[in-house]
Amino acid sequence: MQPTLNPDTSNWDDIVVFDRYSVNFGEPIQKDDIVALRDPIDGRKMLVKRIVAVAGDIVKTLPPYPDAEVFVPEGHVWVEGDEPFRTLDSNTFGPVPLALLDSRLMYIVWPLDRIGPLRPPIPPVPERGAPRDFRWYSNLAAFERGQRRQARVTTRSTTTSHS
Amino acid sequence: MIPSSWLHLARPAIKNVGLACLHLINFGVALHLFKENVGGLCFMSGPSMLPTLDASGELVLESILPHRLFPNKLGRGELITLTSPLDPSRVVCKRVLGFPGDVICVDPTGLTAHSTEHVIVPKGHIWVVGDNAAWSRDSREYGPVSMALVRGRIAARIYPLSRFTVFSKDATYIE
Repeated sequence: MQPTLNPDTSNWDDIVVFDRYSVNFGEPIQKDDIVALRDPIDGRKMLVKRIVAVAGDIVKTLPPYPDAEVFVPEGHVWVEGDEPFRTLDSNTFGPVPLALLDSRLMYIVWPLDRIGPLRPPIPPVPERGAPRDFRWYSNLAAFERGQRRQARVTTRSTTTSHS
Repeated sequence: MIPSSWLHLARPAIKNVGLACLHLINFGVALHLFKENVGGLCFMSGPSMLPTLDASGELVLESILPHRLFPNKLGRGELITLTSPLDPSRVVCKRVLGFPGDVICVDPTGLTAHSTEHVIVPKGHIWVVGDNAAWSRDSREYGPVSMALVRGRIAARIYPLSRFTVFSKDATYIE
């Protein structure tokens, strides 16, 4: 999750608030949420990943995954880190059952310049003569990452039936 | 206006009721923690384990702490409880068939998959099946499940005392 949490420009490790209640009892998991989940390969480790697709979607996968496209089955989600390389995510272990999700990221607490709830990436407005600092470029990069992520997902509204 | 003498009399009673409520909450929380982390009795329902466990009305002993402490001691052929990969609010009971690295024939009968389809169980996953193959949603449908989903083992059947059983590792298989 490097560019979003613990960015290279920060001198500190991020301190964030995770909400366990909303995952178990609250609103359902949505796309672009950042969640903490138990590693499906080693259940003692926790991973922090972003939800790319929910049940019923079709995802175009990235290299380590054997198939080019995958249908996310009922009760599963597709999670990925924000860096497409150097991450252990659904492209390695496939769709993750919802039961492994532990909590949802609600709030960034520590580096005071990024304090606040997680915002959806907004395209930075090109202002005439405005200085383009690292923040402008990282906002643009986050926005483009979001666009690229959404382009890989095909939503298919299916009615899941329980037997 | 309540006379002060009445309040004076009622105060110990209110205190006792409050304390009793707190003790009740305390007990409930302790019971929940015990049931989620150590083990407890639970009723089974559903036809997926039929010859072994009846479809309803059986009380079994679920042991969770031994699995938490020694997750590698899980044996082939044991009955386990796991959170359902399809619906996180349900806990299901299945039998362990395959461990990481095993080659499994998905369905030898060829009903849910082609009978020649084989998979290798990936690292950190297990292959689980129900005993009632005709009426069970298990790994044949959703593939290998992560060991992180396993809650514990079914240790014994308690309730119909005539059918009391201790479930042990009694699987015979060829290495």
